[in-house]
Amino acid sequence: MSPLSRPTLSPLPPLPKPPAAPHFPGTEQAAGASENSFVDLVAGQFQEVNGLQQNADGMVHQMLTGGDVNQAEVLTAVQKADLAFRMMMQVRNKLIDAYQQVQQIQI
Amino acid sequence: MFSALDISTSALVAQRVRLNTVSGNIANMSSLKDETGNAKPYQARQVVFQTHDELSTSSGASGVKVAEIRHDEAEPLYRYQPDHPLAIKEGERKGYVAYPNIDLTTQMVDALEATRAYEANVGVMEISKNLGRETLSIIA
Repeated sequence: MSPLSRPTLSPLPPLPKPPAAPHFPGTEQAAGASENSFVDLVAGQFQEVNGLQQNADGMVHQMLTGGDVNQAEVLTAVQKADLAFRMMMQVRNKLIDAYQQVQQIQI
Repeated sequence: MFSALDISTSALVAQRVRLNTVSGNIANMSSLKDETGNAKPYQARQVVFQTHDELSTSSGASGVKVAEIRHDEAEPLYRYQPDHPLAIKEGERKGYVAYPNIDLTTQMVDALEATRAYEANVGVMEISKNLGRETLSIIA
């Protein structure tokens, strides 16, 4: 029996250079601007909703303590804060929903 | 969405000022002296509205604000009351007392109109509010 012929192996091509270390957003604003823009967006919106609620709170306090504010303006501020909060909650629900769907992916 | 609420709120504020002036006019219907105590009958106040450019949106809608509260320069009503301490002492109107020239009917109609305008703006706000809520159901 002839010995098993060994196929000649061509040398492996050199490994491609590993990609550069992942860049974490926040460390450098200029480079990571596009990566953390979504986080910025969400955080910014939450800040804005918080601001509207604090504004409404302040106006209600002013009205109840006899300040010179118009009732219509106070109630409008409260209504704005309510609508903004509802919007924020819907966005948050959507995000959590998307996260849970990704978590349930079978590997 | 919020600018619609802001515009309606500006109208509510303006109509409230108008209603305040009407109540002032009716309250002072028989005021014979002005705020400094001089014998000068009360003059009816009239509110003048103007469009509020600061509240305007890109689509051209704009809010409303009170431009000025002007005094009605109508001639006072003269009633003959010679024994009244504020009766005019000399001249052709001797013995007459100057009363404010305020027409109660006009004032009541004005108050009613302000109330209806207020209600209409509250209705618009209700619609904007419901629109906002309905829009949220798109994402839900």
